[in-house]
Amino acid sequence: MAFNLTRRRFLQSASLAAASIPLSKVVSAETGFVQSPLEPKGSLKEETATGGICEMCFWRCQLIGKKRDGRLIKLEGNPKSIDNGTSICARGNAGIKLLYDPDRLKYPLKNVGERGKPVWKRISWEEALAECSSKLKGVVDKYGPQGIAVFPHGSTAKYPMHFFERTVGTHNVSEASFFQCRGIRDTAYWATIGKAPGENVDMPNSKAIMLLGSHIGENVHVSHVKSFIKGLQNGSKLIVVDPRYSAAAAKSDVWVKIKPGTDTAFLLAIMNYLVKTEKYNVDFIDEWADGFDEFAEGIADWTFERAAKECNIPVEQIKEVADILAENAPNVSIHPGRHVSWYGNDFQRQRSLACLTALLGAYYVEGGWVPGIKPKVGKVSWAKHDHGNEHNLNYNEDEELRHPFTPPGTPTELIRDAALTGKPYPIKGCVIWGQNPIQTIPGQEKMKDVLRQMDFVMCVDVMPTDATMWADILLPEASYLERFDLVKTGTQWDFSEKHQQYITARMPLVEPMFERKDNVFITNAIAKGMGHEEEIPVKTVEEMVEKNLAVAGLSIAQLKKEDGIHLRDGKDPYGIPEDFEVLLYNEDIEDAGFPGVPTYMPVEPPPAGFARLLYGRVPVHTFNRTQNNAWLNFAMPENPVWINDETANKLGLKDGDTVGLVNSEGFKSHTTTTVKVTPGIRKDSVYMAHGYGSANPLLSVAVNAGVDDTSLMTKIAIDPETGAHGMRNNFVKLIKDGKVLDIPA
Amino acid sequence: MQYGMIIDLERCVGCHACTIACKAEWEVPVEYGRNWVRRLGPSIVQGEMASTYYPGLCNHCTEPPCVEECPADYEEQTFTNPKTGETITLEVAATWKDPFDGTVQIDKSRCLGCGACADVCPYSARYINPDLVDDMSEDGKADKCTLCKPRVDAGSLPACVQTCITNARIFGDLDDPKSEVAKYIKKGAKGIEPVDGELGPNIKYYGCKKDVDLLFGTSTPELVDVGPIRRRAMLAALGSGAKKSLRNVGLLGIAGAFLASAASDGDASDK
Repeated sequence: MAFNLTRRRFLQSASLAAASIPLSKVVSAETGFVQSPLEPKGSLKEETATGGICEMCFWRCQLIGKKRDGRLIKLEGNPKSIDNGTSICARGNAGIKLLYDPDRLKYPLKNVGERGKPVWKRISWEEALAECSSKLKGVVDKYGPQGIAVFPHGSTAKYPMHFFERTVGTHNVSEASFFQCRGIRDTAYWATIGKAPGENVDMPNSKAIMLLGSHIGENVHVSHVKSFIKGLQNGSKLIVVDPRYSAAAAKSDVWVKIKPGTDTAFLLAIMNYLVKTEKYNVDFIDEWADGFDEFAEGIADWTFERAAKECNIPVEQIKEVADILAENAPNVSIHPGRHVSWYGNDFQRQRSLACLTALLGAYYVEGGWVPGIKPKVGKVSWAKHDHGNEHNLNYNEDEELRHPFTPPGTPTELIRDAALTGKPYPIKGCVIWGQNPIQTIPGQEKMKDVLRQMDFVMCVDVMPTDATMWADILLPEASYLERFDLVKTGTQWDFSEKHQQYITARMPLVEPMFERKDNVFITNAIAKGMGHEEEIPVKTVEEMVEKNLAVAGLSIAQLKKEDGIHLRDGKDPYGIPEDFEVLLYNEDIEDAGFPGVPTYMPVEPPPAGFARLLYGRVPVHTFNRTQNNAWLNFAMPENPVWINDETANKLGLKDGDTVGLVNSEGFKSHTTTTVKVTPGIRKDSVYMAHGYGSANPLLSVAVNAGVDDTSLMTKIAIDPETGAHGMRNNFVKLIKDGKVLDIPA
Repeated sequence: MQYGMIIDLERCVGCHACTIACKAEWEVPVEYGRNWVRRLGPSIVQGEMASTYYPGLCNHCTEPPCVEECPADYEEQTFTNPKTGETITLEVAATWKDPFDGTVQIDKSRCLGCGACADVCPYSARYINPDLVDDMSEDGKADKCTLCKPRVDAGSLPACVQTCITNARIFGDLDDPKSEVAKYIKKGAKGIEPVDGELGPNIKYYGCKKDVDLLFGTSTPELVDVGPIRRRAMLAALGSGAKKSLRNVGLLGIAGAFLASAASDGDASDK
C-alpha cells in the first residue's frame, strides 16, 4: 500500500491549514483514510455562490464561487457581469489559493521579540484590541492626534482610514495608491480638466491609442484589457512609448523606444507641431480651453529635432506619431496611465497628456476620454470634521502648501521626515492596514528607521508581509471572499453596446475561518477603546453595505435575488458637459511657483557604468500582494532582469544566468534572479517586475523569490508639485559570481 | 466531428488566466499544468522586433502518438455521440481518441503510469500526476488536458476558454464549416506539426506573420524516438498483470487493509 507524502502529511495534520492539497481528497470520518478519485469532479455541477467581488488587484471584477461541502473550490466571472463577464484573470482564478493559504494570518499576534525580528505570541482578540486602543490612545494623549501615522490601502482600509483621519484627527495618512502610484495622474488632470481621469479611455471605439509607459497586458485589469484588445481588433492604430518592448509594444504599429525620463519633451514636441501646423482641433480649443496663447508660447521651442535629441529617438518617428494622432483625431485614446510615479517630474508629464487630449479634441467623444455615467450609491463612513491645518505637514511656517497639488492625504516623505526628526512634532504611533510600506515606498532603510522609533505599531492584513514584521500587534483580517465591504458601480465598458449601469456589493462567499475579522469590527472596537463609541457610524460592515445600497433603492437581499448584480438602463456617455473646461495654461500652478504651461524637467542620467532601473508589472501578480500564492508563484516564480542583448554580449551574460544587483549608493539586493537577454530594451536601462523578493520567512512560497526592486530604490526623488515619489531614478550594476559588472555605455 | 481550439495571438496578452483556471477546475498539482503559456521574445524575427506567446495544451492530434504507445491491455469501451446520443463500442487501451468528438482521453483506472504516452508526446502535453496513485502505479497516472470533455458534454465551454480575458481562445468543431474555429482555419490558422511529423494537431494558432513565425520558429518540436520508450512500456505492461490481479483480489474481500485501493476502484466505476 503506497501512500505518497502528500497524503501522509494530510493525514497527520488533517486541519484546515492543510487545505492546499486537492479538494477531492476527502477524509472519511470513520477510517481517517483519504480517498483519491482518479478523475477530479470539476466545478460544473457544484453549488454556486454569487456576490463575490475580486480583490486580487483593485479592479474589482465580479465573481461567483463554486462550492463543494462548504468549501470554495473555484472562482469564475459572474455571467451577469457587464464588466468582466465570465472572465477573470490569473490572479482572480488563483483567489482560492489565497483563501486557503496555510501561511495566512489566523489569530491576533503580539510581537514579544524586536520590531523587524519578530517573535510572535498568539493572544486573544480582547487583549489585542485593548492593547491597540490603549497604546494608540496613549500616543494621542501624549503627542496629539498628529502623533499617529496611517498607511492604509484598498477599499478595506477606507473605514479605518476615515476613523483616524476624520474622528481621531490626524492628517498623517498616506495611501500608496496616491503617493507611489496614480496620485500624480489624478491631480495633474484635476489641474487641467477638473477631474481625475481614471483609465476612462474609450479604446474599443478609438481610431488610435497611445500608451506612454503603460504596458496593458502585463498590467491586467480584465475589462480594461478587453477594451484595449477590442479597440485593436476594430482596427485602432497603436502607439506605444516605452524604453522596453512590452506586451503592448508587441501589438503596436509604432514603438517609440524613448530614453527614460524624457516623455514630456516628446509630448511637447508633438503638441508644438500640432499647434504650429494647425493640426489641432481649433473648434474644440476655442470652445472649451483656456490659456491657449500662453500654452502655445510656452512650448514653442520644442521642435522635433530638439525632442529627438533629448529623447534619443528619430525625428521622423515623432512626426509619424504626431500625424497618426492628428489624422485620427478626435477619436483618439491618450491613455492617462496608471502607476505613473516615475521620475519626480511626473506632474508635468501627466499635464501634457491631458493637454494633448484637448488639442486633439478627444474629450467626451467616441474613442477619446469618456468617463461614462455611473449610478449613485451611498458612502457611509465616519462623519467629516475640520481639524484645521495646524498639524498638516504639507503646510509650511507661512501656511503655504509645500506640495500644492498633492493627492488626498499627506505626502509619505513628509511623514517619514517628521517621524525621524521629531520636527515639527513627533510621530509615535503607526497603523498599517493592508499596505506594505517596506516594499511600496522607496528608501526601505528609512522606512525601517521610521518604524523603529515608534512607540506602537499596529498592522492589519490578510497575509504576512515584509511590513507586518514591524508590528507590535498584528491582526488577521478576513479576506475579500469572507466579508462584506464595498459597493461597486459602473457601466458597460464598450460604449457602442446598449447603455447600462450596474450596482453590486462585495458579499462573503464563505465564512471566515480561524479568528479573522473584518475592518468594521476591528475599527469599531478600537474606536470604542479610544473613547469614540458615540461617533461609530455603523455597527457592522453589513449595515454599512445596506445603507450604501439603500441610496440606490437596493438591499443585500435584493442583490442576492439578482445574482449579485443589479442592472439598469444607462445614459449616453458622449457629449461634453456644459461646465467642462480645459486649462492649457493654469495660473494657479504658476502662482504656486511651478510652470503653468506643461514643462519638461530633465532627470539625472545614469552615471558611467550604471543602467537605470525600470520596473513594471507581470500579469500574474499584483506587485507584492500575490507573491505567496502557490499557483501564481509557479506561473512566474521570479522577476528576471531584462538586459539589452548587445550589452549582455559585452558583459559575457547569457539568458538564464543568475545575477544580483547593486545600486549607485552601494545597496545590494539580498537575493538573486536570472537574466533575460533581449534586444527589446534600451542599452541604458534594465528592467524587472516590481514586488518580488519578500524577506518575511513566514511567506513560505514568496520568501527570497526574485529580487526586491524597492530595496534598490534608495535615491529619494519627490515630484515637487504633488510630493509623490519618483521610483525610476535609481541606477544599478549587475553582480555575477561575486563580480560587479560595469554596464558599458 | 473534431473538437479543437484556435488561439488568436493577436488577442492573447499572455496573462495566464487559462492556465490557472484549468488548475482550479481539475485540481492539477501546483507544479504541473494541463496547459501553459510561454513568453517568446522580444527577439528579432526576419529583421523585425517581435514578441508573442505560446499558449499550449494537448493538441488532441488526428494521429496521436500517445494513443499508439499505450501498453495497457485493450478493453471494450462504449462511446456516446454527445450530439445524437448514438453509441459505438470499440476496443481501446488506457488512452484513446474519441470516435465521435475527436478528443484524446485517458482512463485513469487502467493507466499503468508507465509514462510512455508522456514521453512520446512531442509537445510534452502529458505529465505523470503524482497525486493519482494506486496499487497499479505508485508514481501516479498520466494526466493532461481533456478539452474539458465533462464540461463540453454538458453544454459548457472549456474552463480556459470561459475565463480567457480577451477571447483569444475559441473552441468548437473544426469539421463544421460554419463554426468560428473553421472560419479561422480558412483565414490561415495552423497547428504546430513536429519536424517531419504529420500528427494533425487540432489546436491551431492564428496571428500576424512575425508572431506566427516566432511561435513556429521557437516552439516546433521534434518527433520522439519511440524505441526505448516502447521497450520500457512493454516491461511495465508485463509487470502490471500481477499487480492487477492483486487489485482484483483486494476488491473481492481483503479490502480492510486496502481501503485506498478500494476507493480508487469505486471511482473508476463512475465512468
